[in-house]
Amino acid sequence: MRKILVLVPFPMTDEELANRQAQSKAVDLAPDIELHYRPVKAAPRTYTSQQDYVLADVVLLEAGRSAQEDGFDAVCIDTVSDSGVAALRSVLDIPVIGPGRTMYATAITLGEKFSMLAMWKDWFGLYTKVHKDMGLSHKCASMRAIDVTPDNRNLLGGKEEKIFPLLRDAAMKCIEEDGADVICLGSTTMHQSAEFLAKNLPVPVINPGPLSYKMAELAMTMRLSQSRTAYPRPKVDKRGMLHAMVDAAAVEQAGKPVEKLD
Amino acid sequence: MKKALVIVPFALDDAGVANRKAQTKAVKLGPDIEFDFRPVTAGPTSFMSAHDWALMEMAIWEAGMTAQDEGYDAVVIDTMSDSGMAPLRSMLDIPVVSPGRASMLFALMLGNRFGILAQWDKALTRYKKATAEYGLADQCAAVDHFDEPPDFANLLGGKEDKVFPKMKAACERMMDKGAEVICLGSTTMHQAAQFLAKELPIPVINPGPLTYKLVETMLGLDLSHSKAAFPAPLVPKPEMVHAMLQAAKATEKK
Repeated sequence: MRKILVLVPFPMTDEELANRQAQSKAVDLAPDIELHYRPVKAAPRTYTSQQDYVLADVVLLEAGRSAQEDGFDAVCIDTVSDSGVAALRSVLDIPVIGPGRTMYATAITLGEKFSMLAMWKDWFGLYTKVHKDMGLSHKCASMRAIDVTPDNRNLLGGKEEKIFPLLRDAAMKCIEEDGADVICLGSTTMHQSAEFLAKNLPVPVINPGPLSYKMAELAMTMRLSQSRTAYPRPKVDKRGMLHAMVDAAAVEQAGKPVEKLD
Repeated sequence: MKKALVIVPFALDDAGVANRKAQTKAVKLGPDIEFDFRPVTAGPTSFMSAHDWALMEMAIWEAGMTAQDEGYDAVVIDTMSDSGMAPLRSMLDIPVVSPGRASMLFALMLGNRFGILAQWDKALTRYKKATAEYGLADQCAAVDHFDEPPDFANLLGGKEDKVFPKMKAACERMMDKGAEVICLGSTTMHQAAQFLAKELPIPVINPGPLTYKLVETMLGLDLSHSKAAFPAPLVPKPEMVHAMLQAAKATEKK
């Protein structure tokens, strides 16, 4: 068996986690591949500010730090922000796959330009961060949002009839007005809309979570992993410090309700 | 009196902080501004890997997070990596000035293409990342190094005769590749700035002192960072961040 660890960027209940796990149904993986979903111990409430990006990097690094000795063969991150990916790549030898980087590279193998389709504009910053890192800003035709506050625990469930047409209309504008050849879903939490959009749009729609699982499979099969010159190892690995920090964050947050956003 | 807080990126002792503070002597500042230097609570030991950068972001952010409440008028980050700048800007209204971004953009006021002098080959990745992130890769003529492991406390002290000529040679190689301005790649190189400025025919930017002067400029012009570029968090988590760094410090005492 080949095991992929999928890191989920928010602490959550089993029921909420099932919404994340449902992504695996959208892709055929080799029969010897197992996906294991692991939520982080503590997290920022949303990913909309540089405060959140920094916290996200640290808590995802911590959640995946032991992946190799836990017997996993690859790690995927369940957020297109690719939070924690660079840091995990610096300490792990097994492939660490970020759906953002993977989605953008795949998009430009399918067309010249891609557009980002988002729930709200507050996510645009995390897209431009990865685009700039990759030097692909000029390949992004546009970013459009439907101005609906996302629910990063329950996702789109129960809101399909309202949200799916809004997403389709925004994506059509990306194609017709902005010149997108490919639509990138702006979050792995939008996966429930992927099938609808793929059926109702004239261009490819990339569902980033399932794509990342398939790319992890590909990397394992081809025996490829991240480049050590791009992701050098730390001279001093502060593993104990890292775990202590995130444990302290979890203790500080313990018992507090998830903050309301509206 | 205006007060700026300078965050020193390593948990240094008083002597180490004094070496950092010596940078203020390199620049003439107005009489009504003072700089307090504060080391981080805990942080990475090395600074060459994405693992280190993630910890450094947290460390500097935490050290500066309360600056506004403490009455400071500005925050300066004493590292060319600009670690912690983005989260601090998201949480603070007072100017947060950092030398990496500032020295590259200042270099473009003095010439069209700049070179960045790195300490050793292990630092090269970080500069590539920074120039790409700021959209300045085309303006960066070269990044070169003088092959000397960094000493974050003693800096270049006692090694001048051996190291300064190697620094000059690296700058000259960058000039051959089209560099019109040299950015020192670390605030820890400040002791070599005067030597290089004398020996080289092009401007040499000493990043620490540049930031002190920029703080004065920002405060004088009543300017600060754009909240459109650095949006405030919807849910700030300062207590969580403090708890994390206190826990980090405890692991260093063991």
